[in-house]
Amino acid sequence: MSVNYKTVVQKPADKQWYLLGIATGLAITMKHLLKNLFNKKDMITLNYPEQKYDYSNRFKGNHILTVKKDGAIRCTACMLCATNCPADCITITASEHPSAEVEKYPISYEIDMLRCVFCGYCEEACPVDAIRLGPEWQTPGLNGAEFNYDIKHLAYRASLKGGVQSVVDDKERSKSGI
Amino acid sequence: MLKCTINGVELEVKEGTSIIQAMFDNHQKIAHYCWHPGLSIAGVCRLCMVEIEGNPRLQIACNTVVTEGMNINNTSSKVQEAVKWGLDFHLINHPLDCPICDQAGECGLQDQYMEFGQYTSEMAEPKQKKRKVVDLGPTIVLDSERCILCSRCVRFTDEVSKTNELGIFNRGDHAEIGTHDGKKLDNRYSLNTVDICPVGALTSKDFRFKQRAWYLKDSDTICNGCSTGCNVKVYFNKEGLFRVKPRFNAEVNGHWMCDDGRNTYKFVNKEARLEKSQEYKNGAWNVTGAAGAVTKSFSKLLASAQPEEIGLVLTGQLTNEEYESILNTFTNTLKTKNIYHWKSPETEKNNFDGLLIRADKNPNTNGLLAAFKKHGISSTWTDLEAKLNSKQIKNLVVIGPENIAVYKDIETQVNLFTKASNLMYFTSAQVAALKASQNIQSVTLIPLKTFIEKSGSFTNHAGKVQAFKKVTTIVSDALNVNEVAQLLAGQEIKLQFVPTENLFIAENLRPDQVRLELRKKNEFFFNKG
Repeated sequence: MSVNYKTVVQKPADKQWYLLGIATGLAITMKHLLKNLFNKKDMITLNYPEQKYDYSNRFKGNHILTVKKDGAIRCTACMLCATNCPADCITITASEHPSAEVEKYPISYEIDMLRCVFCGYCEEACPVDAIRLGPEWQTPGLNGAEFNYDIKHLAYRASLKGGVQSVVDDKERSKSGI
Repeated sequence: MLKCTINGVELEVKEGTSIIQAMFDNHQKIAHYCWHPGLSIAGVCRLCMVEIEGNPRLQIACNTVVTEGMNINNTSSKVQEAVKWGLDFHLINHPLDCPICDQAGECGLQDQYMEFGQYTSEMAEPKQKKRKVVDLGPTIVLDSERCILCSRCVRFTDEVSKTNELGIFNRGDHAEIGTHDGKKLDNRYSLNTVDICPVGALTSKDFRFKQRAWYLKDSDTICNGCSTGCNVKVYFNKEGLFRVKPRFNAEVNGHWMCDDGRNTYKFVNKEARLEKSQEYKNGAWNVTGAAGAVTKSFSKLLASAQPEEIGLVLTGQLTNEEYESILNTFTNTLKTKNIYHWKSPETEKNNFDGLLIRADKNPNTNGLLAAFKKHGISSTWTDLEAKLNSKQIKNLVVIGPENIAVYKDIETQVNLFTKASNLMYFTSAQVAALKASQNIQSVTLIPLKTFIEKSGSFTNHAGKVQAFKKVTTIVSDALNVNEVAQLLAGQEIKLQFVPTENLFIAENLRPDQVRLELRKKNEFFFNKG
């Protein structure tokens, strides 16, 4: 078997024509400098951390547990997210709900954020739109325990302003005959 | 014997066999909900359709008897079409409850739907709403919406438990399962209806929402709830055991088991167990070292004691192999015949309820009596009482029961044992009675393994020896009685007791090696790692 290859020989440094390259580079830099100096509003860079960029709602950041219209947790504790999770970071404890309409609900729902890889499989697996990945991502903590998010944090943390409502509603589904 | 051909395979079956039974016996796949090998034939689900050569229409396999030269097929497109539409009818009013339904993962409807269904429903009408979360009795919850009216549970209460609590009420799409006149579904075999329910209509209160079916591995063992020795499957994962289900054995339990037997997993789980060996010294209980080391240190004491000063108490809850090794140690090495049979209050009674439940709540009383006979032990309990009261027995080794709930006399007996100046109590359960006892002198508690954690065999009431394998390990520090026997005899733990048939040779696996059969059974679980 013959392999075709070419030997590339670099020219020695004293025979290379580099001045043009340097000039082009400087021109680009100067162009941006002048543009940003005279047109500060359109500048892309931010004064982080004083200024922060708003991410799209579709950004796969920290998890949100959605809520029903009455504010109760939407999750039915079917464990499909925990089953689908490749990082094995979701722990759910299910229990019997006093209302027969709800029947099953989680009494604890914990996500170990340090294990989570933000793949979004939990969101994909959820049959009732109970878990989403939200736009938050800057969530530092002082120790490991602070990254173990519980049900209160996931559904009702301050930044969610009372909870994000799920699009799947049991009563509406029941009315439409499902 | 009749000759017939099923899906191209020539078979010989007994006269009077139904087609579905013939297929079931020969491991051929056929959809069925209402037929159950242990119940009468109802023929209501219309899913076990087969094509019989020479017959213009499809027949149901459960109610058609095999005749000579019959050529049967259940893989043709005609059959598949029939099964598909049969399934569509079943799903007309079946709710989309799979996420919260306990049956999901082991559900007949789900399996069929994945194989034949996966279509959009052709029904324009909304689904019929029925009662949900109905409290049927102390053990069972009913969800009428999920019920497909196969009538298995009704036939079970009619034919097997003969208690007749259940019935199908109303007509058409209003038909539903219920109990008569506010009667509760309350019998000692009620949980079998949950096992035979092909959907999630009947769910067990005990298991409800504890685990999803796919998180559990199963393994075969023998129930140690009573002397019947039902063949069972236990479902477990790393968090412990979660439920017990019957396994078919025509000679012992058929398809069924009792509700009491389903509680036998509870005393195995960590919460109920003695995890570390403990010692009573200077008026306080302290955790001591490893169980094996503590037992070994006791062997020197026994070796230096006179044979008359040593006593051993056994219950009917150990395996035959363990009786053999512990009796060997005490009669041959320690040369004592002070060995006593601790009977639970009902051991002697031979009550039998006609189906499965027996009064003797020990799985292996027969095995113990046989071992006593072999080693020539004829001592009675009154001897022990007399010898303890006269302080003749100073070093008493008690191998306590694991199913402590059936030993209702435990407080009195423990108070008797504490009369020994040196008591060594081997137990898998936490013995509250011993902790509460007033007159304890020197007591050492050592954790034992339960029947789930060891291999061995039980001899049941009829003298049938049934072997079982180790399922899992719950308390790693615990010893089994074979090891205790070796340690008390002053040896190191080396040999496993291997029965003559070499049944448990596969035990020599590396601890981290997953058994092939388990891996096959639980492919999903192990794929996840």
